[in-house]
This record gives sequence, structure tokens and C-alpha cells, in this order.
Amino acid sequence: MEQNKNWQSFGELNKSEAYNKEVNNEFKEELPFVEDHSGFLQSKAPRRDFLKYLGFSTAAAAVAASCEMPIKKAIPFANKPEDIVPGIADYYATTYVQDGDVVSVIAKVRDGRPIKLEGNSLSPITGGGTSARVQASVLDLYDTARLRFPTIAGKEATFEAVDKAVAAELNGAAVIVTSTITSPSTKAVIAQFLAKHPGSKHVTYDAVSFSGMLLANEASYGKRVIPSYHFEKAKAIVSLSADFLGTWLSPVEFARQYATGKKINEKNPAMSKHIHFETVASLTGSNADEKYLCRPSEIGAIAVALLSAVKGGEIAGVDAKLKAGIEAAAKALTANKGAALVVAGSNDKDVQVIVNAINDAIGANGTTINFGATVNYRQGIDSDFAALVDDMNAGKVNAILFHGANPVYTWPQADKVKSGLAKVKTTISFNGKLDETAAVCKYVLPDHHFLESWGDAEPVTGHISFIQPTIAPLFKTRAFQDSLLLWSGDATEYTNYVKNFWSAKLGGENGWNKTLQEGVINPATPVVSGASINSSAVAAALIAVNASKPSTKIELALYQKVGIGAGQGASNPWLQELPDPVTRATWDNYIIVSPAMAKTLLNIDLNNGGQADAYEVQPPKKVVKLTVEGKSIELPVLIIPGTHPQTVGIAVGYGRAESLGKAVIGTGKNAFPLACLKNGTVNFSCSDVTLTPTGETYPVALTQTHFRYDTTQGNRTEVMKELTLAEFTKNPKVILEEREEEAKPFGGLEKFEAEATIYPVYERPGIKWGMNVDLNACNGCGACVVACNAENNVAIVGKPEVLRGHEMHWLRIDKYFSGDMENPNVVFQPLMCQHCDNAPCENVCPVAATNHSSEGLNQMTYNRCIGTRYCANNCPFKVRRFNWADYTGADSFPDNQRGEVNDVVLNMNDDLTRMVLNPDVTVRSRGVIEKCSFCVQRLQAAKLDAKKESRPMVDSDIKVACQQSCPTNAISFGNANDKHSAITMVREENELRSFHVLEQLHVLPNVTYLAKVRNQSEAEGEKAEAKKA
Amino acid sequence: MHLKYESQLREPLVYGNKTYSQVTEDILRPIEAKPSRLWYIGFFIAVSLLSFGAYSVYREVTYGIGQWNLNKTIGWGWDITNFVWWVGIGHAGTLISAVLLLFRQGWRTGVNRAAEAMTIFAVMCAGQFPIFHMGRVWMAFFVMPYPNSRGPLWVNFNSPLLWDVFAISTYFTVSLLFWYSGLLPDFATVRDRAFTKLRKKLYGIAAFGWNGSTKHWQRHESLSLVLAGLSTPLVLSVHTIVSFDFATSVIPGWHTTIFPPYFVAGAIFSGFAMVQSLLIIVRKVFGLTDYITIGHIDLMNKVIVLTGSIVGIAYLTELFMGWYSQNKYEGYTFWYSRAYLFSPYGWSYWGMMACNVLSPQIFWSRKMRRNVFVTFFMSIIVNIGMWFERFVIIVTSLYRDYLPSSWSVYYSPTIWEIGFYVGTFGLFFTCFFLFAKYFPVIAVAEIKYVLKRSGESYKPEFDAIDAQPIDTFVHDQAHAH
Repeated sequence: MEQNKNWQSFGELNKSEAYNKEVNNEFKEELPFVEDHSGFLQSKAPRRDFLKYLGFSTAAAAVAASCEMPIKKAIPFANKPEDIVPGIADYYATTYVQDGDVVSVIAKVRDGRPIKLEGNSLSPITGGGTSARVQASVLDLYDTARLRFPTIAGKEATFEAVDKAVAAELNGAAVIVTSTITSPSTKAVIAQFLAKHPGSKHVTYDAVSFSGMLLANEASYGKRVIPSYHFEKAKAIVSLSADFLGTWLSPVEFARQYATGKKINEKNPAMSKHIHFETVASLTGSNADEKYLCRPSEIGAIAVALLSAVKGGEIAGVDAKLKAGIEAAAKALTANKGAALVVAGSNDKDVQVIVNAINDAIGANGTTINFGATVNYRQGIDSDFAALVDDMNAGKVNAILFHGANPVYTWPQADKVKSGLAKVKTTISFNGKLDETAAVCKYVLPDHHFLESWGDAEPVTGHISFIQPTIAPLFKTRAFQDSLLLWSGDATEYTNYVKNFWSAKLGGENGWNKTLQEGVINPATPVVSGASINSSAVAAALIAVNASKPSTKIELALYQKVGIGAGQGASNPWLQELPDPVTRATWDNYIIVSPAMAKTLLNIDLNNGGQADAYEVQPPKKVVKLTVEGKSIELPVLIIPGTHPQTVGIAVGYGRAESLGKAVIGTGKNAFPLACLKNGTVNFSCSDVTLTPTGETYPVALTQTHFRYDTTQGNRTEVMKELTLAEFTKNPKVILEEREEEAKPFGGLEKFEAEATIYPVYERPGIKWGMNVDLNACNGCGACVVACNAENNVAIVGKPEVLRGHEMHWLRIDKYFSGDMENPNVVFQPLMCQHCDNAPCENVCPVAATNHSSEGLNQMTYNRCIGTRYCANNCPFKVRRFNWADYTGADSFPDNQRGEVNDVVLNMNDDLTRMVLNPDVTVRSRGVIEKCSFCVQRLQAAKLDAKKESRPMVDSDIKVACQQSCPTNAISFGNANDKHSAITMVREENELRSFHVLEQLHVLPNVTYLAKVRNQSEAEGEKAEAKKA
Repeated sequence: MHLKYESQLREPLVYGNKTYSQVTEDILRPIEAKPSRLWYIGFFIAVSLLSFGAYSVYREVTYGIGQWNLNKTIGWGWDITNFVWWVGIGHAGTLISAVLLLFRQGWRTGVNRAAEAMTIFAVMCAGQFPIFHMGRVWMAFFVMPYPNSRGPLWVNFNSPLLWDVFAISTYFTVSLLFWYSGLLPDFATVRDRAFTKLRKKLYGIAAFGWNGSTKHWQRHESLSLVLAGLSTPLVLSVHTIVSFDFATSVIPGWHTTIFPPYFVAGAIFSGFAMVQSLLIIVRKVFGLTDYITIGHIDLMNKVIVLTGSIVGIAYLTELFMGWYSQNKYEGYTFWYSRAYLFSPYGWSYWGMMACNVLSPQIFWSRKMRRNVFVTFFMSIIVNIGMWFERFVIIVTSLYRDYLPSSWSVYYSPTIWEIGFYVGTFGLFFTCFFLFAKYFPVIAVAEIKYVLKRSGESYKPEFDAIDAQPIDTFVHDQAHAH
């Protein structure tokens, strides 16, 4: 045995087995990397074990996952109705009628459910335009707060029982109180009833009446009528705080007319000039070319001065600023004699008489004002109703029937109405919901919703619009006319009554059917005529107006909101959540004050960056107590530039009875009691108002908090482009040059697409959808916003969620001020997804849930979205909306709505309310992003239709929802790759004013905007510029 | 090859008259002793916080992201702020272990174990946020590129958020492996000293059959180097990629090319601050002041003042560019939304400036660097500052971006948003308490490795070498085995 030289252990010495094993791991010579080839498959756990575990875990997961899911049954038709094809929409011409408002519409009916209203383009009055309220009215049909059966003293009854009881009581004179009735057949029915019950009378009551104007016209022209107006013929428009684009008389009609004068032909730019005298910032004032601020009590003096000025006389009785305005107005009016128009929002007869005289002096009578076709929108005379209230209180009224009218809520002295009604033996309400008046009536016989009704309307003399039902009545309701017919002993059903009424006039049943299909009858040749004016009325009016001196104290102007009106929209969640165009607030009313008053009253200076920030970023606003004539109201204050410094505004229509639905609960306060009766008419302004801050705050849900694009670090002209007509005529390329300047660092406009990126430019053949918005035509009314709600099942989130910036609107209307903060220029900018060709949202989504279609759409794949919100962050336009909670009930998590979303949202998920959903559009669930799709369901349908007919698709096949609803045709849409499409034409014709928002980012939007041009003289434009600087 | 000699001028890395066995005794004492009352209290608090966090997350998953106060304009708030903050903290560990290993910095041995553990826990915490910030977290697997039955449907490789998924998961995996491989010899030591069968068994499993053979050591060394090599680029890449979430976007205040280096510096800055906070407590509570010495604290404070200043330069550069670019949108974000003290979030910017740029300058003073209390206080301040940095970047950029119409109302978190953040502290400390109880908080083997060269009691042995003539010294070192 060879001896080792040295050994360290006996193991080594003896070369024991253990030692040899150990020494293998202690290599001394080299470092061999021994690979162990015994692989996985040779391991101890054999394949069978693996399969066993796999099988067990799969089974376990399956058991765990198979929790019980609710089963929802869809039942097919046993006998399919002939006209209903599942998945195919039917369209019926009908008419939106609410109180005196009339808009001809086409109802889209899917599987027997009306789900959307589109304007009827056969009506020359509206030309297919609608308003936010028209768009929202379809939701009222499915309102869970609608009355579902007739009641006697609050208890459910049958119609037979009610008829019997009423027949027993209705022996003698009765009074029918209705809001304005435009229906000729209904008027005939009422006449029949009145004849049957001698001594009865019909009182028309409008919450916000035009009695002043009706009486003035009677005094001036001998006719108690309202003429039709033709803003489209007017080159000069002066409005004495008449909100004719928002709430005055027939805004859809006027908006359309007004836009014709505002659209520009770039080759020969000319536009109407609108001078507005504004008390509290309004939609119309915001659109004016020039705006002068005045107190409500100064309107009379302004009218007098304007009358004097247009006749070449002196201007007296007004301050220097207003004098300048009146001079400008008179200049514009006299320069455009025969194509000029003055309107006044005042309900004071004397003021309206003077306005009539002005219109006569400027040749409006018979040109822009047409007595040949009078309008029937408002027929109520306040003094008639005031007399009725007195009669009731005197116990002179035996029976009273209400339809549409709701004086217990809207009459300034509602208590008197209530006490009077207590003395009336028989009180009957036909209102469809348990409103404030119906609540105190003994008998309630709910009427149908207009989408369930037959009927007719004559908005303008000679223009008839028909109402046909689009769904069988959902509840035990009965037409108001049916009741009246029955009670006057006529067994004819109103359905047949209307048919007979018109068949006779239209040449039998065929004529009737055809007319019903079209929905409207228009006069063959429109008559335009004036009326001879009685000048002695003017003298009397002048004396009366001059006698009332303008106040020097703070004044209050009550106004209606575009969505809510006189309260008709208050129970509609779509309208409550529609941001008011002027304030961008939802779900509340408030006191509007000017920045100047905010400074003195609340110590908030909007010109102080820190204070302005603090005011803007905190939703709780300071609450102020407003007192007038012993009545007071406490409301939060919003600072809205463009309001007279000594005038505050409050919207009526809020603070309604809780029985009207979840949407009215906790929303605002009733301001009608602040109005007063003056000279027999209801006056919606008061002087001598006291304001005292209460020290409390109240959160107001604003969807926009900052209104200036001019920042301390530069004017963001890439966001918005506006200019004066003078600037535009002087240099038509001014916008183009501005864009060129902005694109200069990236190779100029022409090479911008290729040079401003490191990526190659892609061809975009085939269809390329594009949209254009004319900012000159858009007046910010919000019809498109509600239309988008209806078309795309956009969820309502309720006030608490809007407060947190969680509103879901796919389309919003941004509002910007420029110039002087006390009296700024205002511009509205509808903003929806811009469908960028180089969309920044697309490349950041980790799962490619948002991507680009071959037709240029930026599309959103809801079921792929995991909700990282990265796309929303990276969207420069901030149009992407996230489902923060389960707003729609579409979530698979049970019981996660209650307590998290409010009752309004829960109510929107009620089975009844959900009938309004558009089945073509996915209802989004919690946790996903959504946004404007360019109404892709409509695009697909149009392409399919064209395909079925083996023809290329053309522009006229498609109207996206916002475009369809727009009363001013501000939105164009179509295939931008088609040389003959409307969108291409519009873009070519308006090349000089086109711009993309944030063009310099090279996101390549597919929406173009046409710069806003204001008809201001250059001097005024410069003045604004100087103020900006 | 390490020198056997270390200059006398260098501070010892291990104080006291330590032998190998004493090192083992000192470091393993907390593992082998019963946990103190303090440990139980701390652990209980950590678990409570974790539970509250879990409930907050439960609410968010069940009821939706609406449980937080984010809105249409501010899509990310506390969630991603916390994510970036935790990821940043997770940078020091790997830097200490990997980069310092490659640079042969002996001082890392005292702190690397705890720093790496901190990294892993911090990355675990960070990961919660991008996962649970999703609106539909149950669909989170969509971010994995796996073959599926949905047609050729893949993840979007263009998305920085997807890069995050890869970057973070890679970083976590490599850090975990690195940490664990370093733990093997120490687990073996614990196993060999085990006093119960169960202990022996469990630590035996954990040690992967380590028997201290040269072969094991040789492989261990190689593996460490390989993992160090892998980790080093990760230290730079992870936060670079996190910064891409912002830098590749179009939002003013995010769209900034300076972000990658600035984020990495910031990450190291906050990471070292967190290491300081934790180790100052650990060395005191576990009596390890001889191993985690004031010298370590001094060195780490130097890193803090360096990276803090780099971050400061980055802030100033951003401000300068905000002006120099003459871009009104950037100008607004940097000069109004951030730098203007009286703008709604101006306080957060100046809070960040004070915490991150001004306060660390105190560490230019050696006296301050070596003051434990100052260091502890500053480490907290720095981490607050770095939280503000991320908040400033995310919220002040988003809340007022391009269109003034969409400018947001004031954003402040809900209780559940705060709860989620607090919950990750719970997670972090729960893990850290368990780590401190069951794992050697200092790398025993690695301390032994430097003990005879840098230990205080061994230093005098170098006196003889110091006295040698140069030639002898060179000759001796060259033949050192």
C-alpha cells in the first residue's frame, strides 16, 4: 500500500468509501462540471401523479367557479306581429308635445319599444332639429314615477268608477285649466265639453307665459297672437334678453334660423349681427356677437331709447356703456332695414308694445316678423288665471280640471292656488305624474305619454304635425280627450275622433294614412305678411315705461334652463345630468353672480390666480341667502362672467315634489315663489334683493371648472380658434397662417404628417370616417349630448358621482371665455373622441383593447379592456370615460350597487327604465373604459343597407346621433376619402377656417372644427385683444 | 483575487474582537432565541395594517375603482404613485448586492442581506398596485402573452405598461434567486446548529443540501457572479421602464426625455433611504452594531447625498426646459401647476424640493453622516420626499393638461385609497418581521469572508506588513495563497 505523503484524516489514509465519495466533491486538480442527466421525467413524481393532481385541481376549480348564476329568460313571440322583425327598427313619424312646445319627430321603435327620437326633416319649422328636452322625452315614457292607474283621493280606482263619480259631480259649470294646447282636435273636444256643460270655461295657463307679448300684440295690432319670427332673414338681430336659442318661444326653430345667418361662405364672408342686452348670462347672450350688460329693470328704458334711436332721436335715460350698445344696435338695425329684428324676453306688455314699435320702424313687420303665420306655442294669459285663483278662493268654482298645467308648483302665489283648490268640490288632474297639482286633486286620471297617444298639433298656423302611438300604453292610462268626450256624452274614442277630424280634411282614409306616415302637413305656399300697427298704444306704453325708474339696488332675474325648462325636465335624469350650457352645472339650481359681485359679496377675486383656483377646484360653493319682499331662498353661488354686476340669476324648475321620481330628490330649490304679479302678468325679475352669505357651503356638480384657454404661460390657441369677421375679411388666411406657425417646427402644415414623426406615413384607403363641427353654427344647446345618451346607452351617474368627475358623457360641450372677464366673448366647442389617426390612447393599452379600424375609427373593445385607465390619461382631449362603479347593473359582481351609486342610478337600472336602452349598443360594465364610437352601429347598418342594395354607400345613408339631433346642422359626418361626400365638401369649402384641436401634437384627429367668427367690428376685436393682453 | 492586506486607513467593517464562531453566534442569536415582546407587538401591528389593506382592496375589487377619488381627468393617483415609490425602494437591494459585488466593495457584506430582502418585499408591495389598479383585475391575465383561443390576439408590445409587466417580473425573479442563493450557506449553518428536529428538517430543506464542499462554494461563487451580472442592468432597466410609462406619453410633465436617468437616480436615492431606516432599527434591536457599523451608515449617506443631488439637478433641468422649450403646455405644468407655491398642488412640489434636494445636503457634513439619529430622521424625510416626487409627476401633470375644459377638481384620496397604501406597509413589515425572525439578517458567510481582512481585531496584524519594505510587500502579496 502506497503511503500518502500527508493525510488529513483516517478516511483519507484508509481511502474509505465515504471519503472517496466526499473527495469527489473536493476536486483539487481541475474544476470538472459534472452534468447530472437524470431529468425531470425520471424524477420521483411520475406522470400519473401529475395527471392526478391536474385532474383534481381542475375539478376543484370547476366546483369553486360554478356558483349559481341568475337565469334570465327571453321569450320568443308565439305569434309574431307582422310588422315587428326582431333586430330591425321601425320608424314612426310622431310629434313631441310638451305643454306648448311642438317638435315633429320620428320615433325609432325596436321590438315594439320606442328607444330614440330623431327630428322629422319634413317639417320646415324644425328641419329635423331637436332639443335636449325632445331627445330626453323618450326616457319619460319609461319613468317609474309615472302614474300607473287612476285614483280617487289617492286610492286606486278603475276608470269606470272615476267616470261614475265624476258624472255625479260634474253637474254645472267646470273650469278646464290646461297648458297651451296646440292641437286643433283637442280644442274641438274641449269646445264640445264646454258646450255640454254651460257656464264652463277653458283657461290656458303657461308656467312661463307670453301674456305680455300677447296683450301687447293685441294693443299694437288688434290681434292677440304671436307672429312667427324669421331670424334667418335678419341681418341684424337685437335681443333684449330674450333667450331665443335656449328657452324663448320655439328655440329649436329659432336656433335653426339663426344658424343660417351665422354660417359663413368663405369666399364671400358675411353674417348676421346679433347684439344682445344681457341681464344674467344666458345661452343666447353667449352666442351674441356683441353683448351689453343691463339690469332687468333697465330693459324698458333700453327699449325706449332704442325706439328713439332707430327713429334718429336722442338716447336718454341709460348709462354710457348701454348708450354705446344702443347706438350700435340702432346703427345695425337701421342699416339693415327690412332685414332686422328686435325681440324682447320681457313679460311686460308695455315693453313689448315698444318693441313692436321698434320692429315697425325697422321694417321687421312683414319681413322678419310674419303675421301671416302666427304661432300657437304660448296662449296663456296670466291675468285669466289670476282671476280664476280669486274665483276659487271666493268659492265660485265648482269643478276644475287640470291638464298639463301645474300651478301649485309654478304660480308665484302657490299658496293661494292651494287654498283655492281646497274650496273647489271637484278637482281633477289628467297629468301623467303625481305632480304638485295632481297631488291635491281628488281625481287623478293619468294621461298617456305622447309616444302612447294619438293626436295632432298645430305649432304654426297651417302647419300640422301628427302624433301616433309607437307603443301600447304601458299603464292604465287614458287620453285626456277620451275623458272629456265621455263626460260630454260622446262615445267616440279620441283615436277615431282624430282620424275622422282629419280624414275629412285630407280626402279620406288614404290621405290620412299617407299624412300620418309623413307626420306633417305644410301649407302649400307660405304667406308672409305684416300687420298694421296702432301707434296710440305706443304713446301709452312710453308713458308707462318712462314712469318706472330702473332700480339701483341688486336685482334678481329668474330664468329657465335649457334642459329643465319650467320644471318639466326636472324628473328626467338625462336632463338633470346634462350640463347647463351656461354654467356647466348639473343636478341643481344656484345663484348666478358676476365676478364683480363675487368680489364684494364673497371676497373671491377671479383675477387672483390663487383665489380663482381655490374657487374652481373645490366643488363646495358658498351659500348665500337671498331675500326679496319677505321671501327668501338659500342657494350656493356660481360666478358666471357675462352677468350684470348688480344682477343675480336663479333658475326655476327645481325643488319639485318627490313623487315625481328619484331625479328630483335633493336637486335645487323652487324659485317660482320669488316671481311676482305686476300689471296682470307674471314678472320674473325683482329689484331690491338682499344677499347675505350664510357661511355655509354646498357642493355643486360642475362638469367644467375652468373656462379660459388663455393661461399665465401662454394662450392655448391650438385648443380654440376664434376671430372677428373684420379680421377674417381683412386676411382670410389668418387661421391658416396661425396653424402654419404652429406646425413650423415640424416642417410646416403640408409636410406635417410625414415630418413630425419618425414613423412612416401609412396609406389609408377605403372608407375614412370624418367629422366636422362648425363652431359658428353650434350654439351649445346640448341636444347632441342627450341624443348621444339615448343612442349609446350612456350611463347616468348621479350628482355624487358628477361631483367626483365621474360623469360618462361621450360628447361634451366645452365652453370658453375670452376677453374681458366681466363681459367676455363666449365660445362653445362640442368635444367627442377625435378618432385620431395616430391615437395616443392606442399604443399605451397593454392588452390592445383600444385599436384602430381600417376605416379610421378608434375603437374600444369593452370585453378586452382590463381598466388600467392609461388610455384616458394619455388622451389629450380627455374624452375617455371610465366605469368607476357598477352604474348599469351589467357587472357580474352581485349586490355591489346599493350604497355605492345613488337612487337615480339604481332607478335607471329598473327593468322599466332599461326598456329605453338601444339593443345595438353594448351596455358597459364596471371597470372598463368607454368613449364616442362615431355611432359605429349606425355606420355598420348603413354599410349593410348599401350592400343589400348592391350600391356604394353614400353620405345620406348615415347620420350619427349628434349630427341628427343638431338643430343648426353644425355637425357634418361622412367618408372623408370620398371626394363627393358632404364632409369632404364642407372641409373644402371651409378650408380657411378648419383646424384640428391640438394639431401640433401630431395625433392627427379625424374631427375638424371651423373657427368661430364673430361679427364684431375690427375696433371691437382689437378692444377684446387689448383686454386679453 | 482579493488582497490579504487592507490599508490601516480603512475603517474596519466588523468591530469588536470577533472570531468566526462569534460571528455566527451574534448573527444567529435572534433566530435561535424566542422572539421578544417587541417583535410580537410589531408583528401584530404589521398584520393589522395588512388586513386593513386587504379589506380596502376587497372593496375596490367588489365595488369598483370608484372607491378611490380618481376621476375623468386624473386616471392615476395614489395607486401608481405608490407603485413607483415602492419600485424605487426596491432598487437599493440589488444595487448593493449586485453592483457593489461587481465593484468588489467589501462593505456591502454587512447590509446586503437585509437590503435584498427589502428589495423583494418592496417589489412585492409595488406589484400590488398595477394589479389592483385595474378596473377588472380578474382579467389581469390578459397582460400575459400566452397562446389563446381568441384568434391571433396578443398583448400590445408597444405599451410601456406591458414592458412594466416584464421588467418587474424579471427583476423580482432575479432578485429573489440572488437573495436565495446567498442564503443557502447561512441556512446550512442554521440547520447545523438546529436544536429541534423540525428546525433541522425545515432549514435542511431550505438549505438545498448545502454541505460546504468546495464544489458548492465554487458553484455558489459562480452563480453569484452570474446573477450579479444579470441584476446589474436590471437595476438600471427597471426604473427606466417604469419611467417610460410617463416619458412615452403625450401629457405635459410626463413627456420628458430626462426621465430614465432621473428615475433611476431617484430610485437608488429612496432605496438607500429605506435601507437606512430599516437597518438603523435592526442593528439596534438585534444588537448588531458591530456588523452594521457607523461606517456603513456613513457610506450609504454618501450615496444618498449623491443621488439626491442628481435628482435635484434633474428637477432644475425640467424647470429650465419648461421655460427654454417655450412650450406653453409644459410651461404651465412646470411653472404653474408645480413650481408656483400657491397653485392647488404647489405645496406638494415644494415639499418634494425640500425633502429631496435641500435636506440631504446636510450629509456633506461627516458629523451628520455619522449621526444615527440624523440619518434615521433624514431617511424618513427622503422617503416622504420621494413619495411626493411621484405624486407631483403623476397628479400635477394630469390634473391640468391640455384642455382647460377638463381641468380637474381637487383630488384627495379616499380612506380606501389610503388603506391600500397602508396595507402594503403591512405586507412589507409582515414580511420583514418574519424575515428578521427566521432568516439571518446579515450574511454570516460573507461577514466571515471579510472578517480577517477588515475586522477591527485583525487590523493590527497588518502593522507588520505596513513596516515591510515595498519589495517584500509586493513579493508577499504576489505569492499570497
